Amino acid sequence: ATTEPKFPATRLALQNFDMTYGVQFGDLWPSIRVSLLSEQKYGALVNNFGTWDHVIAELERLSARDFVNEAFSHWKLEPEKGQPVASAPAPVSWACSPNLQCFTFAKGDISCFPRARLGSLGVLDYYLMDAASLLPVLALGLQPGDTVLDLCAAPGGKTLALLQTGCCRNLAANDLSTSRTGRLQKVLHSYVPEDIRDESRVRVTSCDGRKWGELEGDTYDRVLVDVPCTTDRHSLHEEENNIFQRSRKKERQILPLLQVQLLAAGLLATKPGGYAVYSTCSLSHLQNEYVVQGTIELLANQYSIEVQVEDLTHFRKLFMDTFFFFPSCQVGELVIPNLMANFGPMYFCKLRRLT
Amino acid sequence: MAALGRQVIDWHRLMRLTWATIARQTSHLREQRMTVVSLLRPLTTASRGGSLKELSCVTSRKYMQEAECRTDLSQCLLEKPGTPVDRGALGLEAITTSLLDMGFSDAHIRELLSIQPRPTPQQLLDITSELILLGLNPEPVCVVLKKSPQLLKLPVKQMKKRSTYLRKLGLGEGKLKSVLYCCPEIFTMRQRDINDIVRVLREKCLFTVQQVTEILHRCPYVLREDPGELEYKFQYAYFRMGIKHLDVVKTEFLKYSITKIKQRHIYLERLGRYQTPDKKGQTQVLNPSLKDIFRVSEAEFLAKTACSSVEEFEVFKKLLAREEEEGPEGCTSDSEEGTSSGEDAGD
Repeated sequence: ATTEPKFPATRLALQNFDMTYGVQFGDLWPSIRVSLLSEQKYGALVNNFGTWDHVIAELERLSARDFVNEAFSHWKLEPEKGQPVASAPAPVSWACSPNLQCFTFAKGDISCFPRARLGSLGVLDYYLMDAASLLPVLALGLQPGDTVLDLCAAPGGKTLALLQTGCCRNLAANDLSTSRTGRLQKVLHSYVPEDIRDESRVRVTSCDGRKWGELEGDTYDRVLVDVPCTTDRHSLHEEENNIFQRSRKKERQILPLLQVQLLAAGLLATKPGGYAVYSTCSLSHLQNEYVVQGTIELLANQYSIEVQVEDLTHFRKLFMDTFFFFPSCQVGELVIPNLMANFGPMYFCKLRRLT
Repeated sequence: MAALGRQVIDWHRLMRLTWATIARQTSHLREQRMTVVSLLRPLTTASRGGSLKELSCVTSRKYMQEAECRTDLSQCLLEKPGTPVDRGALGLEAITTSLLDMGFSDAHIRELLSIQPRPTPQQLLDITSELILLGLNPEPVCVVLKKSPQLLKLPVKQMKKRSTYLRKLGLGEGKLKSVLYCCPEIFTMRQRDINDIVRVLREKCLFTVQQVTEILHRCPYVLREDPGELEYKFQYAYFRMGIKHLDVVKTEFLKYSITKIKQRHIYLERLGRYQTPDKKGQTQVLNPSLKDIFRVSEAEFLAKTACSSVEEFEVFKKLLAREEEEGPEGCTSDSEEGTSSGEDAGD
């Protein structure tokens, strides 16, 4: 007993959260806290490149339901006089990316999905992910033929979802670290047939995302900026690679700066008139709203580029049956974990580049 | 004062029982009669000498003396009959009379006589009088015997031996009563099993002799537990929750099931409302009292202590059960998205 036992990073993370989130969320914090410390829920993103009709039947047999489809059916019934308006074009600001099917268990149901299996077409039949991770992709509102950039793509769940929409004429998937793009490649190999992910359509790179504005300015119709963050849930459970390790204090402190730089680069790579979605899996408003507001200011001041925050109130209403949303974000939407629906945290904010 | 008055009433009942027993014994044990009666004399004199009111005012010292006397008496009465097996058939009427004398009502007697499997009348009488002598009231005796008719099959000798042992553990008159009331097995279970529990409390959990007595008295259910699980429960209290020995005893902690303990404690801990005290016994949050955690109904626990909803706690209990069963991994994804993006930013 000569050496002091190391104070684990997961404990440091919890202490940090108690200090900051206790203030930020007040009475809501205990219920978020217990959820973060308990087992999370998953969604099964159906692989449209596999034999999906068979998979859907299987998932329905488990009494899971496709929360995306369910949200849309509510939306179609809701407008004026309850008339179905399936053919009417959706208002652009909160249009959802199409063709995504993601199954979850109802609120309070803690059932698990069995492991994904290899289908007859040689790809896995579904991808298990935090269902809230699909919301940024849905909010990005992909249109057929879009040129899409995923600036921080690994480990690949959101990238896979982008491909599942069937809208990407071109997809650039980037991540700084090669080990992480390796994981991304593995996901693509397991889920996407070769012809879909060939070099001309899906490009995987390992560059510094902050330089993207200079590399490919005004290029993409849709840009997803899913930045590195304090990964709150992960930081409470895994010692390995934990950003709350004492040695990574500096890195943690400059995270908001890095996030601003990445979002700025993403917006610069967006075509004027195009859309970007900023997302994190942190609850911290320093990494969420403040980054969005800071970046908008930065682009206005330094580049004279006008960026507008899109109102996602309606979007939030669509998915309220599945997720718990924090009711008072200044900009964007935040899914807060709750034991009844232990998804998230997931912050996302949709931005339109006007000029 | 009230307690003392109650004792006095008990004592009067005991007197009646004594006379009943003697009346019964005189028929076949004539030669013992003189001894018994001579033993009884000082007691009866005391009884007749004072009214109930006066008796309830006796000093504790005097009461103590009387209690000792009473114990001697019961010893005497119990040892003397010797061979209870072949005392001949007792008529229903005789039993009824004896039971009435012990203070049982007609309804009680009907209940006692209807207990299945039906004991021999002698056995019924022997056991009931034994329980009465231990200080139980007729009502609890009926409850105990109805709940555990196996007690009626016990040889009186074994019962007596066990009560002596329990007294040695410090479970005197009043205490033994409450133990027997909620844990009648204490008379039927194997001596070795009781020893095992006592040994765990003494040697593994390091409770003092007095504390062990207090635990057996206040949480007799510990006797039903597996010794290993009891030890684990104590360790959970001591190491995980930071509860000291004295508080384990005082709060009757050991009577709660480990499932309930973990559910409520871990829930509070994850909510951020309970912290294990550090080496100096300090916490950063003010822990709720153990009473507010364990001794309240679930509804009250949720409303006042946890400040949470029934639905969330229900889900939590299911998740916790799965964690306990499968380890912390639960149903993890095989696609690594659980770690989401960016956890090793800056690599």
